[in-house]
Amino acid sequence: MGRPMKRHECLKEIAGTVGDALVVVCVGGTSSEWNAYRPSDGNLRCWTLGLTSSVALGMALGLPHRQVIALDGDGSLLMNLCGLPTIMRKKPKNLIHVVFDNGVYESSGGTKTATAEGVDFVAVARGVGIKNAFGADTVEEFKKLFADALARREHTFICARVEPGRGEVPPWPWPDVENKYRFTRHIEQTEGVSILQARIPGSWKKS
Amino acid sequence: MTNSNMDAKARAAAILGGMKKAGIDLIASLPDINCLDLIGALERDGEIIHVPLCREEEGVGICAGARLVGKKPALLMQNAGLLNSCNGIVTTGIQLELPLLLVVYYAGDIGDRGFARVGTATMPVLDALGIRHYLLRDVEAIDWTFKNAWVLAEDSSRPVAVLLTKDVLGTRA
Repeated sequence: MGRPMKRHECLKEIAGTVGDALVVVCVGGTSSEWNAYRPSDGNLRCWTLGLTSSVALGMALGLPHRQVIALDGDGSLLMNLCGLPTIMRKKPKNLIHVVFDNGVYESSGGTKTATAEGVDFVAVARGVGIKNAFGADTVEEFKKLFADALARREHTFICARVEPGRGEVPPWPWPDVENKYRFTRHIEQTEGVSILQARIPGSWKKS
Repeated sequence: MTNSNMDAKARAAAILGGMKKAGIDLIASLPDINCLDLIGALERDGEIIHVPLCREEEGVGICAGARLVGKKPALLMQNAGLLNSCNGIVTTGIQLELPLLLVVYYAGDIGDRGFARVGTATMPVLDALGIRHYLLRDVEAIDWTFKNAWVLAEDSSRPVAVLLTKDVLGTRA
């Protein structure tokens, strides 16, 4: 199966279109590329293989008025295929789930994933009941599907079939905990809520 | 033990009420037969966001995402599900220093028939992960335990586990 497009080309095309969306990115090349093209404290890197879409679902349910995007990989999705029916059951209108399917475990040395042997994520997604499930093989197709998803305001799943390889970008900049604090402070500032509070000394009330 | 004469449905309502009083506003769950009344109460509740799971580890991700945007999440599961969830708990929950409430049905408890092996593994696994855990047997301790478990989770920026027994659930034969 030919894979004529590259992941970083797709990311570059959509980076300017997502506005203030919260974006959960699976660890590896995708996170570095995305943060290079769309630097934001609204980006969160997910370290656990499989949980990118689950973390994004939690955000989408917690902030239903805010657009949330999951940038997943094929190895990650294969680890947590059962996350797809869970997302389907909740039908989050504000969640776009993009999977970059390069057919290999890129961060683990390039061993083939099951998609290289013919697993069709779009058929899987449709099979679990996800109505808006689409596949893209060119950057133009991907760009259009993503723009349609932003406008649709319904849960959408997009599988972008890409060739392996990373873009020439700087590495992801933040340690995990700093990423969490920056992300959560970003939520506080943009949503006008208080999530993290400093510990108040016991003597405070006495003074 | 000072368990009251409440039936299982009333106990389930009390447990859900205790979590709500602690501020819990999103619960991801996968059922155990001893938690059916609790999950039934959760499904009927109009305030808490309920996310039924296919596998427990995805619940760690859902709870993490919810917490990052300001929710107070809990993951309700059997202790076998806790074992299923360990990678997510370590590489998302603990790695990002997130307060998460793990509400774990304690199969293989003293007096149970069956599940002794998963019961034997439960507390050592929690200890190995550095997760503080509290065993809930008395109905009277429900509110206090959930309230303070969440305070500890927030204050320590870590997951905290509350173990539900048949005694508190009212399901012991």
